[in-house]
Amino acid sequence: MPTMTYLQAISSALRDELRADERVFVMGEDIGVFGGAFKVTDGLFEEFGPGRVMDTPLAESAIIGTAVGAAVVGMRPVCEMQFSDFISCGFDQLVNVAGKMNYRQGLAVPITVRLPSGGGFSGGPFHSQNPEAWFMHSPGIKVVAPSTAEDAKGLLHTAIHDPNPVCFMEHKHLYRRIKGDVPSGIYETPMTARVARAGSDLVVIAYGAMVHVALEATEDVDGASIEVLDLRSLVPLDSDAILDSVARCSKVVIMDEANATCAAGAQVAALIAEHGFEDLDGPVVRVATPDVPIPFSPPLEQAVLPSVERVREACRELLAY
Amino acid sequence: MSSSPTETRAPGATTLVDVTMPQMGVSVAEGTVVAWAKQVGDRVEADETVCEISTDKIDTEVPAPVSGVVAEILVGVDATVEVGVVLARIAVDSASGELPGGGGAAAPTPTAAPTPTAGPAPTAAPTPGAAPPPHVAPVSGAPAVNGASHRRYSPVVQRIAAEHGIDLSVVPGTGRGGRVRKQDVLALVEAAPEAPMHIESPYRPDPVPAGSGGQLSRMRRQIGAHMKRSLETSAHCTSWIEVDMTRVQSARARLGVTALPFVASAVIAALREHPQLNASLEGERYTQHAAVNLGIAVSLGEDGLIVPVIRAAHELSVEGLATRIRDLAKRARTRALTPDEVRGGTFTITNPGQYGTIMATPIINQPQVAILDLEAIVKRPVVVTDADGNDSIAIRAMTILGLSWDHRALDGALAAQFLASLKRGLESV
Repeated sequence: MPTMTYLQAISSALRDELRADERVFVMGEDIGVFGGAFKVTDGLFEEFGPGRVMDTPLAESAIIGTAVGAAVVGMRPVCEMQFSDFISCGFDQLVNVAGKMNYRQGLAVPITVRLPSGGGFSGGPFHSQNPEAWFMHSPGIKVVAPSTAEDAKGLLHTAIHDPNPVCFMEHKHLYRRIKGDVPSGIYETPMTARVARAGSDLVVIAYGAMVHVALEATEDVDGASIEVLDLRSLVPLDSDAILDSVARCSKVVIMDEANATCAAGAQVAALIAEHGFEDLDGPVVRVATPDVPIPFSPPLEQAVLPSVERVREACRELLAY
Repeated sequence: MSSSPTETRAPGATTLVDVTMPQMGVSVAEGTVVAWAKQVGDRVEADETVCEISTDKIDTEVPAPVSGVVAEILVGVDATVEVGVVLARIAVDSASGELPGGGGAAAPTPTAAPTPTAGPAPTAAPTPGAAPPPHVAPVSGAPAVNGASHRRYSPVVQRIAAEHGIDLSVVPGTGRGGRVRKQDVLALVEAAPEAPMHIESPYRPDPVPAGSGGQLSRMRRQIGAHMKRSLETSAHCTSWIEVDMTRVQSARARLGVTALPFVASAVIAALREHPQLNASLEGERYTQHAAVNLGIAVSLGEDGLIVPVIRAAHELSVEGLATRIRDLAKRARTRALTPDEVRGGTFTITNPGQYGTIMATPIINQPQVAILDLEAIVKRPVVVTDADGNDSIAIRAMTILGLSWDHRALDGALAAQFLASLKRGLESV
């Protein structure tokens, strides 16, 4: 099994799909000749040409709108938003047109929108956001957020094969930091949660980059047995896996790199309050970014993003409860 | 489920709390005790099942309103009583400090002398009315204990304690401020004395190869009684009509549903045309109903069958009927129907065709006046006539619809007209 970075795993999924299925094409800003702002699509233009690797104008609404039209006539477009923050310009095409197409017209819209998201590298308020909850709130759109190289490739295959619009949240900070063994060829990772580490005293629920913060923070908290549950998919949300962890551990810390209010973790907390109440042995604790823009200043940014120390302290407090 | 418990004072340091027949749906006035889960003298925890009851076809459990000891059982198994009747009384030991919510105005004194406001005082001398109650037990839902009356327990701790019959007041807490944590109560569960070692001879005689059997289940007995009563009551007649279901078959495939909602929809239309069949006959009293409340027989496998009712079915489309049928059938099979959902039908459809049978003589669901039987839809060669009057043999999806009707309420001509309009409706879907 080859070892790949998170970024290489995504590139590999795109290349495999372009080779395997002529309906697949990729489009986005500077993804062709230049190879993408983060070089995810590097080399694709040379292999597949301008007909299948398309540079677009700086117009997210046009990118997604074009993809919707192509999908409706049978193509499998994969769009790149250069930064996930920019998707606000394409919001109407994604949320209203793509998301409601099946409900209104009975037509499938098999598009994948790749959203390089997240902070931690001093990108400032326009280049560091985690907008996944915007789309969780909008029926008709699936949302996945891999944390490992293997899941990044497998979930991208799943997303491209899925008949619905899928937001693929790829965390920029993981691109070159995370490496792992990746099966070769096309395989599908299910849109379900994954136990990243099994435990029995407390469970930390996270997704994306926060899975790695959770794993590091809970490696040794006074010898307690701490589970880490990697959600992987936010829509659909794997409520069975969440409630199963809660039933075994009875204490829960939920992490969000996104701003706290109405984040994915808020939905998880609501699910547990409603369906896991009788298994709880303490309050549901959340560790999230406060409701502020992500600061440009490195020390300020580090102060607002959930840190290893904050998670460890939250676990310690809850374990003692 | 039950209303706020009433309590009566008994001699000694106990309070008696009534367990009553609960109200289970607006139209249900009475229930039958099926079995007692607790006997007099048994310890019972709040919300634990005290007895099982049955109202018509729905069985359910009656939870204890408080923790305590069963002091009296007032209604025997198989007795039917009205909603609100006291079934049993639970003695709450006031020394344990537990009181049911809502009745806390008159708190028991530690010496067991009843306060004057608290009802009959058979033996002990009442304290003067002016004397303040020396101790007021907390009235919150959480179990509370003398000496640790401010302790509160998390949901999981309460659940484990209830499952293992653990008195939480004696569990040492290792959490913040002495809070009892899940692991504290689990430690007690694990430390419980093990069952004594088995010392009987391991020899067991071979089991007698007896056939399975025994007393009929309650549901079987009820179905039997209903069916016998219907046969004795109505003048049953059955008429059949052959229907070409080819169009229904392609329409149902398009919608991804069974043929049943299409038949239901056509039945409703035919009932609107012939409202004499959407009726009930009780004794000599015949009533035509404006709304169609459509009963659908749902098999519960070996247990029997039940007929949930789609209220105001005439307001639903085929898709709407399909959704309601699926929902009711699913909940029927998981025993999640409420009593109100199995009452008030005005016409019933039964649909056992999945096994390939083609005709039956269904029994009318009293007090209705007719029932329709839908059996297998099978492809047959039939003679069809085109617009020019030319005959040919074609393969068509055919079924035989059977209508059992009550000759007291109507005559054969009307039943035939009803079936003819049903056929017209189904063949022009």
